[in-house]
Amino acid sequence: MKKMMKQILAVLLVTVMIVPLAGCGSNGNSTDDNSSSNSDNQVTDTNDNDNNVVEDNNGSEDEVITLKIYAQYSDDDTKIPYDYAVQELAKEYPNVKLELDVQAQDDGQKLQTYAATGKLPDIFQIGLSQINAFKESGNILVLDDYVKSTGFEDKLNEANKNLLYVDDGHAYAFPYAGNEMVLWYYNKALFEQHNVKVPETYDELLEAVEKFNEVDIVPLSVFAKEKWICVALYDAFATRLEPKGVLKLDKGEASAEEPAYVEAATKLQALVEAGLLAKGATNMNYDQSRALFYEGKAAMFLNGQWEIEDSTNALGENADWMWYPTYAENPDAKYAVSGSGAPGGYAVSPYSEHKDLAAEVAAFIALKYAEAKYIYRSNPILAAKIDPSWEPEKEMSPMMQKLVDELDNITSYSVFDWGLSNPKVKVALEDQAQFILTPGYTAEEFTEALDSEMKRIFE
Amino acid sequence: MDRFFSNKKAIFLFAAPALVLFTLMIFYPLLQVIYGSFFEYKGLNPDIFAWFDNYKRLFQDKLFYTSVKNGLIFAAVITVYQILLATILAFAVSNAKVRGRSFFRVVYFIPVVLSVTVVCQLWLSVFNEQNGLLNRFFEMIGMEYSQGWLSDRHQAIYPISFTNAWQYMGYHFALLLAGIKSIPKSYYEAAKIDGASNFKAHMRITVPLLQETYKFSLIMAVTGGLNAFTQMMIMNSGGPGTATYTLTYMMLRAINKTYEFGYGMSAAVFLVIECLIATIFINKIIAKERIVY
Repeated sequence: MKKMMKQILAVLLVTVMIVPLAGCGSNGNSTDDNSSSNSDNQVTDTNDNDNNVVEDNNGSEDEVITLKIYAQYSDDDTKIPYDYAVQELAKEYPNVKLELDVQAQDDGQKLQTYAATGKLPDIFQIGLSQINAFKESGNILVLDDYVKSTGFEDKLNEANKNLLYVDDGHAYAFPYAGNEMVLWYYNKALFEQHNVKVPETYDELLEAVEKFNEVDIVPLSVFAKEKWICVALYDAFATRLEPKGVLKLDKGEASAEEPAYVEAATKLQALVEAGLLAKGATNMNYDQSRALFYEGKAAMFLNGQWEIEDSTNALGENADWMWYPTYAENPDAKYAVSGSGAPGGYAVSPYSEHKDLAAEVAAFIALKYAEAKYIYRSNPILAAKIDPSWEPEKEMSPMMQKLVDELDNITSYSVFDWGLSNPKVKVALEDQAQFILTPGYTAEEFTEALDSEMKRIFE
Repeated sequence: MDRFFSNKKAIFLFAAPALVLFTLMIFYPLLQVIYGSFFEYKGLNPDIFAWFDNYKRLFQDKLFYTSVKNGLIFAAVITVYQILLATILAFAVSNAKVRGRSFFRVVYFIPVVLSVTVVCQLWLSVFNEQNGLLNRFFEMIGMEYSQGWLSDRHQAIYPISFTNAWQYMGYHFALLLAGIKSIPKSYYEAAKIDGASNFKAHMRITVPLLQETYKFSLIMAVTGGLNAFTQMMIMNSGGPGTATYTLTYMMLRAINKTYEFGYGMSAAVFLVIECLIATIFINKIIAKERIVY
């Protein structure tokens, strides 16, 4: 009996040890292996086929090809254009199916993990700093030939070519958004109700902050848990003296100790101490922050121009935007804006089993995405030319109309956080821009930390 | 039994799969990380052999000291809270006179089985500066003690550490309670005859006999604290700025954001060494000799 027990125990022990090993094995039949380079299985699209029916080398025309796509899909501004693009894709490419992996709001960390583990989706949305990292590691397909073969380049506005090609002269992603910008929204009703002047200068802004604090209204709502908006707010002040704002820091063309950057930190810090932001702003997410603005608990709100549609829906005629307040010493900076476009959009994995098709689909999706933004979101700030056949579903909102009317007055653009090309500068700026929004953090601390980091990066 | 252990080949056969797994899953990646920490990377591949440059930079980086300090604070908070409270609660629940012991046994363990995300969201709503339960409570009782719990760069690490401590206290509670149950009742009866109070009996019998359990709990709590990452990632993304960074967060920043793989790996190597030192130190000072009554 004892011997039998030992045998049973021994068998169980070996079984337990073997099971994890078996679990680690890969399925030999898996079709998800991106590193597969078996040319027999390569699928190529037939460019000369009118119906865009994809044919693989084995000749099966009706085979449905599934492409994995990693894309934004979190609010109406991303869901509506994506759904429209997918719907149009089904008409043009009936045998292509997209499998959506919703993009995480994580500064590209998930995508980076996909790249590191060789699991990049066929198509993925990407920003400039990550393009630079991916091209070094060979994780992004050069699209130079595809932008021409798909006719994508011809469909772009001439002024938007900067969105297609990076500094090395190559294209790595199909853009859909135009030269976007940070807008400073405000609630007209609250300003009128509390008899506060819409600030045009820094001093007026400081006065508005004090007045709104007296009546328990948050002067400016910022979802500062996301670091890009912290950079945008800092940049809005930096552009008051240096029109190129943080773009110059990114390129190493300016030092953090220059007056424009020191002054921006000093003024921002003074405003924070005066109560510019909601308590705990650096831990406030987008939903919490915009709820404050939409519910009339915050007088101003900072976001990109893509917020126009939603803020109009929420506040109606009471929603408006203003130029960022200027400094007394440089009132001409009124039309210098934070933002602009940078290369980015839908990119393609070089390891995709169907990379030609993926590139074609990525171009198609980018164009249709832009089309939907115009038709359903009344957003004319697009990478692509506006086709006369596109009919907006509803009239442009007064805010968007005002923006379109004022576009020609803009004297300079800086850059969005995701348009910064140097990831080290980007991270240093993000950290310091969030720090300066916390009470007690001084402009000296900001400047010293940013300057020492920049010296290390550029030396 | 002798024959069972006398065959070396059989022992090797049984041990080999586990050894192979350990080597493949832990030892080999660890060697890779140590190797990679001596390189500057280009993209995802090692490019230039940089000798000790990454380590030199590590020791000059203010963020490194912030990260180490936060790891130590995190470890200290969770160790004190979890082990102290787990001890008190385990003593209480093991007392036959306490009513509803089964209920408390389950209740204390519930947070352990909850998802970290759920627990973090729960405490995020408690610590919320605008509408959080904690600040509202202070307002309600007329105390001017509202805090920026998670947005104060000097204090944010404490509520984050507390969140972890609260969730995993039940784990240490279960370990200690199981240990207490394994101590023969006759020891306590003898102590009672000698006139020892409940507290004295626990201090003289339970605590010494649970040395091995305490050692394990301490190692888990301290290394868990030094490795901390998830709570700060979910609750305030290491912010404000880099105020609640730990070495794990710093490693992630270097690898996923600034794409300095070698530098990130040097932070990882330091973290491994730190955890090893903590483990050796705890092993040296606790349960040096097995106590048997």
